[in-house]
Amino acid sequence: MTTVLRSRRLRAAVVATGAAVLVTRALRRRVKDSPLWPMPALEQPISGTGRTGTGRRELLVVERAEEAEGVVRLRLKGESLPGWEPGAHIDLVLPSGAVRQYSLCGDPADTGTYTVATRLVEDGRGGSREVHEQLQEGTVVTVRGPRNRFRLAESHAYLFIAGGIGITPILPMLRQAEREGVPWRLLYGGRSRASMPFLAEIEKLAGADGDRVTIVAEDEDGRPDPAAALADAPPHSAVYCCGPQPLMDAVAGLLPDGLELHTEAFAPVAAGAGAAGGAFEVELRRTGRTVTVAEDRSILRALREQALPDLPYSCEQGFCGTCRQHVVEGDIDHRDELLTDAERDEQMLICVSRCHGERLVLDL
Amino acid sequence: MSNKASLRPAPVASEHTPLKARNVAFDWSGTPLHWVPGDPATTHTINVLHLLLPAGERWFVHVYKQVLPSIRDERLRADVIGFIGQEAMHSQAHDDVLPHLKEQGLDPTPYTAQVDWLFEKLLGDRTLPPGRARHWWLLERVALIAAIEHYTAFLGDWVLNAEALDAKGADPTMLDLLRWHGAEEVEHRSVAFDLFVHLDGGYRRRTRTWATAFAALVFLWQRGVRFFMANDPTLLEGKASFKEFFRAGRQGVLPTTGAVARTIPQYLHRTYHPSQYGSTAQAAAYLAASPAATAADARTRGIA
Repeated sequence: MTTVLRSRRLRAAVVATGAAVLVTRALRRRVKDSPLWPMPALEQPISGTGRTGTGRRELLVVERAEEAEGVVRLRLKGESLPGWEPGAHIDLVLPSGAVRQYSLCGDPADTGTYTVATRLVEDGRGGSREVHEQLQEGTVVTVRGPRNRFRLAESHAYLFIAGGIGITPILPMLRQAEREGVPWRLLYGGRSRASMPFLAEIEKLAGADGDRVTIVAEDEDGRPDPAAALADAPPHSAVYCCGPQPLMDAVAGLLPDGLELHTEAFAPVAAGAGAAGGAFEVELRRTGRTVTVAEDRSILRALREQALPDLPYSCEQGFCGTCRQHVVEGDIDHRDELLTDAERDEQMLICVSRCHGERLVLDL
Repeated sequence: MSNKASLRPAPVASEHTPLKARNVAFDWSGTPLHWVPGDPATTHTINVLHLLLPAGERWFVHVYKQVLPSIRDERLRADVIGFIGQEAMHSQAHDDVLPHLKEQGLDPTPYTAQVDWLFEKLLGDRTLPPGRARHWWLLERVALIAAIEHYTAFLGDWVLNAEALDAKGADPTMLDLLRWHGAEEVEHRSVAFDLFVHLDGGYRRRTRTWATAFAALVFLWQRGVRFFMANDPTLLEGKASFKEFFRAGRQGVLPTTGAVARTIPQYLHRTYHPSQYGSTAQAAAYLAASPAATAADARTRGIA
């Protein structure tokens, strides 16, 4: 009896030890082959993919040149800068902390530097004065971006219309159109030839075929005539316009059927809570309520005071992202410094961002 | 004083401070792969933070957003709101290191995708019926966060005092990231625990979630170090070992095993309160001098 018991126990012990040895071995081998065995992974990882490219980096001003009267061109150097496409802009965080946006006007293939050009605006908000006076060769400046809200869509022909410093986002577009062999024309207006940046390069791009570029200096030739340029454009060409608001309004007004207009205002709204914005209404689709946002109130404050006191938020300055909400309808006036271009299509940070029109509909 | 009162967690009032998120930025272009020179084991042990924190702290924010409506104390509410913003910035700041590691040939994605799964799925909202089950799961996660915050505060306090890292010539940008983060962890170390006590505070839940959090941290950490050491392109036979951990602890470039062990009775003591450990004054002093935090302050003032 005891021998049977003992042999049974012995057998059980041997089997258990054997199993343990096998399992440890198998585990050790698997763990050695792949240190990350055995845990599931998220199919579309989130960490480490989100903000690359829109983060902040410190760049060194390596070249400062007078591109034209009152226009300074800066080359900013950094390592392995994020790539960009024509139409992109960067945020310059100036030494005073003010943030200004400038179009990139260099060569996208150059991943070591970004080039921007700025015109000194005498009665502006001081941003351009700061760029002109404070940013010298050797200065380190903080840059965010690049971002692109003025992308060059594929087309069989382009018409570019630029006013003054509005040439900056257009210039890389010209180069790309030229490289890809897409027919293009340019109408470029300015106060005087001496004050118009990049004239030499543009005339070189136009080459022998002088027709492609029409340069209109106000002191010699009067105002540019967008009507004629638009009338001459081949049907279904894409029109890209950047310049003073009156010029862009005129182009929008004159636009014939069949042409597709893309514009970019070159004095976009400033980031930050200080900038004024009119009052508007916010509809909360799921709550079924509408709240009026006064011009001196953020959407977040208005919603917390009038409808949803427990709405999550934190920094109230547009960087932490806690107050992010989905937008169902409406023209968002983004003033945050966190969201990527893709996210901006339907999300907003309600602590700083506002509305371009009179009504926003939020998924709340 | 009754016996019962003396067994309650007792905060140190003078350690409370108002909280705000800081809009920091770090430029990683000058940071070498082994940012503790000549010590890949230490570098990668600390680097595990970059693997765990982006997803982990995003999860804290996700959970706390849901808890906000249940907070009945105005000061705690303000603390939690400040806490959320600080955690969101920690998550972003560590997340920005990951592409830099990838550029240097050490792609962290296989690991971080698992951590993402852990926090997004395993510890996510799950499909629970509204009512008791959902509330229980929320409280469980709040308690887990309190336990994890015990360790982030411990590490924060450690890194603020880890002079051996400076002596070894560690990369100043990385040190500033760790110390800015550490200082904010020390600054807000009471919030998660206060919230847990406010909503529940049960001792059994405290021990249970501590055990889970501690086991998970040990598991994830050793796995992270092994992952980095095995995949580091500059190491031929990269291997993680406990020997290296003890050695680094003795040199002061990592916490000592004894210090880690002592965190256990601390948290499990009935009267534990995070304000009893670490120094808010030291954290504030670092934040007042930190390159990233002072630049963030200047930016905020300039824009406002």
